[in-house]
Amino acid sequence: MNLSSTDLGLAARVQSLTKTYGHGEGAVRALDDVSVGIRRGQFTAIMGPSGSGKSTLMHIMAGLDAATSGRAWIGDTDITALSDLELTILRRRRVGFVFQAFNLVPTLDALGNILLPFDLDGRRPSALERARIDGLIETLGLGPRLRHRPHELSGGQQQRVAIARALATAPDLVFADEPTGNLDSRSGREVLGLLAAASREHGQSIAMVTHDPIAASHADRVILLGDGRVVADKPRQSAEEIAAYMLASELGAPATAVGA
Amino acid sequence: MSAVVTATPAVGSRRGSASVPLAWLRERGMGASVLVAAISSAFGVLLISATGYIAAMLSADPYVGDSEMLAFVLSFLTVLLVGVAVYVAAIVTANTFSTVIAGRTRRIALMRLIGASARAQRGEVARQGLAVGVIGAFLGLVAGTAVASAGVWVAGRMLGLDGVAFTLVQPVLLVPAVIVALTTWAAAWAGSRRVLTVTPLQALGGSVEASHDQVTARTGRNAMAIALFVAGGALLAAGIALGLVSPLGVIVAFAGGILSFTGLALGATLVMPPVLRLVGRLFGRSATARLAAENALRYPERSSRMAIGVVMGVTLVTMFAVAIESVKAVLTAAGGGSLPPEMATLLDSFAAIMMGLVGVSAVIAGVGLVNLLTIGVVQRRRELGLLRALGVSNGQVRRMVLLEAAHVTIAALATGLVLGVVYGWAGAQSLLGSVPVDVTLARTAHFVWPAVPFWPVVAIVVATTALTLVAAVVPTRLATRVAPVEALAE
Repeated sequence: MNLSSTDLGLAARVQSLTKTYGHGEGAVRALDDVSVGIRRGQFTAIMGPSGSGKSTLMHIMAGLDAATSGRAWIGDTDITALSDLELTILRRRRVGFVFQAFNLVPTLDALGNILLPFDLDGRRPSALERARIDGLIETLGLGPRLRHRPHELSGGQQQRVAIARALATAPDLVFADEPTGNLDSRSGREVLGLLAAASREHGQSIAMVTHDPIAASHADRVILLGDGRVVADKPRQSAEEIAAYMLASELGAPATAVGA
Repeated sequence: MSAVVTATPAVGSRRGSASVPLAWLRERGMGASVLVAAISSAFGVLLISATGYIAAMLSADPYVGDSEMLAFVLSFLTVLLVGVAVYVAAIVTANTFSTVIAGRTRRIALMRLIGASARAQRGEVARQGLAVGVIGAFLGLVAGTAVASAGVWVAGRMLGLDGVAFTLVQPVLLVPAVIVALTTWAAAWAGSRRVLTVTPLQALGGSVEASHDQVTARTGRNAMAIALFVAGGALLAAGIALGLVSPLGVIVAFAGGILSFTGLALGATLVMPPVLRLVGRLFGRSATARLAAENALRYPERSSRMAIGVVMGVTLVTMFAVAIESVKAVLTAAGGGSLPPEMATLLDSFAAIMMGLVGVSAVIAGVGLVNLLTIGVVQRRRELGLLRALGVSNGQVRRMVLLEAAHVTIAALATGLVLGVVYGWAGAQSLLGSVPVDVTLARTAHFVWPAVPFWPVVAIVVATTALTLVAAVVPTRLATRVAPVEALAE
């Protein structure tokens, strides 16, 4: 209990997390006593059908939403009791985001979007950070696009700019919410490969919410949610295995039938 | 299916529109358009009543009797002042409708997808404009008449004028109301052009909006604006030259002023963006300042028209202040260093009344500014949510919205002050260029220095600052209420 996240090798974790929407008879329990940790340096997929609570879990873990009860940590920081301003600054400095769509500020060009977390902090990137950003721009092939605004970029390019922004600050954790949901399959594979490489080569901790078994098969670990609970926690899986498992649980087969 | 689901928020305000025919009036922006129409209509009613009452008062006065000249000047001023107010109101309304329609894009696209024609969609917008105009004009008519009757009663009591034969409720009061209703209709039609560019496909896509509207090349309108401006400028110069020999130069200069100013208003999208860009640079390089500056330039036409209304108000108020002050300076010099106190009081009261009256146009422009900033924030909820998620604090959001308002008002204030000084000086110069300043000399042409009065300018700056702060209140409240999760949910 007194072990810190660092001791556990975790980038983020939640304990006995419950989230209820509404009150009385119409209350919906989106998360039901969830305890889970995201391991440092790993690429973790959080899966589940619509309404399983996976997005709610991510929102609370990332400091975007408050839990009804339970606690959440990013690194060793307990974020449950932080004020709105403290949470905002924590997101700015220690969390990276890649959303499904509408990731970029439309009035800023690609470079402006990548540097936004630094600008919001009122500082220029240090030499070390500058070198990392240059490396990211190089790897993501964004060099010729830096002065383009989002509407002049393809969907895949927009996602790559979002990834560059999310990785630029070397945050404790990158949250990716259906990052391939709006992409064609080739751009989607590219984006997943980039996320996997960031984790493998630079030790970046990444949590990706998805309902796509192919996307989840790129991850080192797959956490499955159903009805607001963690129903499975597996090491790297093939897309077929994940799909089979999801199908089985959709059809009402008990988790134990396929688990282990 | 997804199109229907995602379009729901936009349709929300129209829910049950079949059973409640005027439900769309609750849509954001419509209330402000009604208010703008009501203000201009009430203003017209009040001015007509006031000038009518003054004329009746004068003809009841046995010493003055019927003064046709004064009656003519008064009705001319009435037409001019109401005309300016209605013109500003029309700009504000057209701008509001085009902004509201930008926010309705998805719903219009959905209607097009189902099979509605673009023309029918535009017709619906125009009908809404007519309804807004009629409602506003009627409210203004009632309010204006009520205030006028109260004013007549008070004036009668205070001045003891029992013998003034004056009927307040006259058919002529309907004239400004009808004009306001019709111009609102026309403005809504003009502002609804965008409806024609909406394609059915826009109901489906989650496509990224173009961040910067291209200023549609309206070569015809721009050529017209430049022509008017050049012709007006030439007349203005001619008036000033003529003024060196005769006070009648002011009439030529007046025509030049109206022409060149109309040119400026028409060519707002040529004039304002560079000024806005310059002001944006003053804000510095911080992230909030840059985001605010980019936002004001995101829709250059919208911002330019939003600014030009305020520019007109500031210009007219400054013009009267500078003109009267310059006249006073010349008369003082001509009178050997002092101005008769009655003369000074008369000129000051005239300036104050005129500044107050053109100030109504500035109020209308202010309503338009508040309205557009508010709609702008409402239409940017998703972007604000994204910014909050990425680490923009509520304080930074607040600063951003305030800077956005300040961006428009500072640009408008600077432009208006410069124009007002130029026009005010031109008026004084063309009127008094031939008045002998040095009594020892004969009539000689001379140069009138533009005299800029301190307090009226301070008042203008304070009023603009107040407008900025007021304009930012509602949008700030709405913007800081956006939760980051919303950006992801929509």
